Amino acid sequence: MTTTTPINHPTGNHPAGAVADGPGTDDAADPAPVIVATELRKRYGAVPAVDGVSFRVARGEVFAILGPNGSGKTTTVEIIEGMRAADSGTATVAGFDVAKDARAVKQIIGVQLQSSAFFEHLRLSELLLLLGSIYGIRVDPAPLLESVDLTDKRSASFRTLSGGQKQRFAIAAALVNDPAVIFLDEPTTGLDPQARRRMWELALEWKAQGRTIVLTTHYMEEAEILCDRVAVMDRGRIIALDSPAALIDDLLARGFQRDQEVRPATLEDVFLEHTGRSLRED
Amino acid sequence: MLRQPVIYLTWSSVKMWSRDRASLFWTFFLPLVIMVIFGLLNFGELGRVDLGIVDEAQNEASAAFIAGLESISALDTTPGRRAAEQDALAQGRRDLVIILPGHFGNAGTPVEVEVLYHGGRTSETQVGLGILRSAIAELNFAITGAARVISLSAQSVDARNLGYIDFLTPGVIGMSIMQLGLFSVAFSFVTMKREGVLRRLLATPLRPATLLIAQVFTRLLVVLMQTLILAAVAVFVFGAEFAGNFFAVLLAAALGGAVFLALGFAVSGWARTEQQAAPLANIVSLPMMFLSGVFFSRDVLPDALQVVTDYLPLTYLVEAIRGITVQGDSISAQWPNFLGLAVWLVVAFVIANRTFRWE
Repeated sequence: MTTTTPINHPTGNHPAGAVADGPGTDDAADPAPVIVATELRKRYGAVPAVDGVSFRVARGEVFAILGPNGSGKTTTVEIIEGMRAADSGTATVAGFDVAKDARAVKQIIGVQLQSSAFFEHLRLSELLLLLGSIYGIRVDPAPLLESVDLTDKRSASFRTLSGGQKQRFAIAAALVNDPAVIFLDEPTTGLDPQARRRMWELALEWKAQGRTIVLTTHYMEEAEILCDRVAVMDRGRIIALDSPAALIDDLLARGFQRDQEVRPATLEDVFLEHTGRSLRED
Repeated sequence: MLRQPVIYLTWSSVKMWSRDRASLFWTFFLPLVIMVIFGLLNFGELGRVDLGIVDEAQNEASAAFIAGLESISALDTTPGRRAAEQDALAQGRRDLVIILPGHFGNAGTPVEVEVLYHGGRTSETQVGLGILRSAIAELNFAITGAARVISLSAQSVDARNLGYIDFLTPGVIGMSIMQLGLFSVAFSFVTMKREGVLRRLLATPLRPATLLIAQVFTRLLVVLMQTLILAAVAVFVFGAEFAGNFFAVLLAAALGGAVFLALGFAVSGWARTEQQAAPLANIVSLPMMFLSGVFFSRDVLPDALQVVTDYLPLTYLVEAIRGITVQGDSISAQWPNFLGLAVWLVVAFVIANRTFRWE
């Protein structure tokens, strides 16, 4: 008899059928892995984009995949989101195998793509209602728009938004189905320092609600502040995986020294000191 | 109910569509402009039907019937012998030949009037057959005396004076359905694909079929609205005749809409950008616009081309609608054209299913 594990839905919205029935019971050491990726491989033509990637993400963890452009981090994330089929290897989310049951996975995850686009000619509130209908949920757009400071744009259409507003709307759209796992692909690229900090606050709120977050970023500061663990990818492989502190300690233990002494403030601190920390209308 | 993704998506796309000025222009304004321009030009002569008359009865009744036919302005009548007229028909000098048998007009005996027609000249023969049917109906009423009971039967055959607008209206309706089906889907899907909307939807549990069905529903609703508006303008502004059942026209419009939507999906599946979609959609639509008998009868085409154009989807659609509005045909009388559309629907669906891509 396999015991089924109910998925942790922070605010009690249980999507239909969201009960773990896949593997996941085979793991005694890692208490509650919500994501299990095993030996994922994907090539585009002759180029291996993902070349044997394995990792686990625990429930409630904030997990970052770091790496230069073309390292395979977006492809890895897209395989786990059920948007792209792997050539080999398996990935499960909350016990659902993404290759076999992609819709069940998509029902319980929220996704912000690197460049999310939405229907033209629909208002933001209408877009959220439409997305909700896809998940079979009646959405209240107001708190979602409020959380990304787009309340006064609720009647605007997506294409009239500025770049930063589009980014923020994409994040609100990822939360429509009250997801247990949130995937953010470079969520703060293109945001100003104020909006980036607001994004971090949001991510930490979601973590406090018990949601799991997987993000990719080019900003090491962001990974260091937000993440419990980070995986560093290069050429389709994970070359390091640990907590930010452990990775830094490890580097220092090998005798690494910075060329220049770090000053107690950065240029960003100067910027924020002068422009204030409150969000700007962009 | 609104929470059903198909219904919500359809409702949302109707909203999107109604807010898009460009699509409103192409869907409603342009076909109306075409209809106004061609309606005012009124190429009345194009609709004339060459009718050969073989009178084997040579009696009072047949003479009266023939005189009646000769008075109809849409008909170009020529009397002649059976063999000569059959030759003329085979050579394309006649659209129809009516043969009045020897016992024509004998009271009490049922008479079968034979009508031969040119298979490749559908639009003229349809008009001609419609006229002959009503002429014979008139005659029946006159003989049986039912005319006095039903007052409408007193209407003379000349009242069905078919003008160019009667020929043009089904053509413009069919053409508009083709343009809407091909272009709206080709463009909106390519745009959604290029901008990444489809990719974003791919990250949700939305079934691809749900999105496609919602798109089809939306366009079919628009097709029906468009058909209603064009038909209303033709009838109330240009005084077009409307012989058949309007629901039969709507059914033909919906079926034709489905065919061209499926072709539109095939185009949008192949094309990566709007720049690729536009020429491809034009390659599909332009030849049909001129070869399927939209603006002028296919009779003017060379014989070989007529045979090819017999099988074009727009030919089936335009001739089905024309058969219903001009001749007053029922759907079952128009079954070859409906069957042609159904076959095209299957073919287009198979192509679309193969070429359609999300990214």
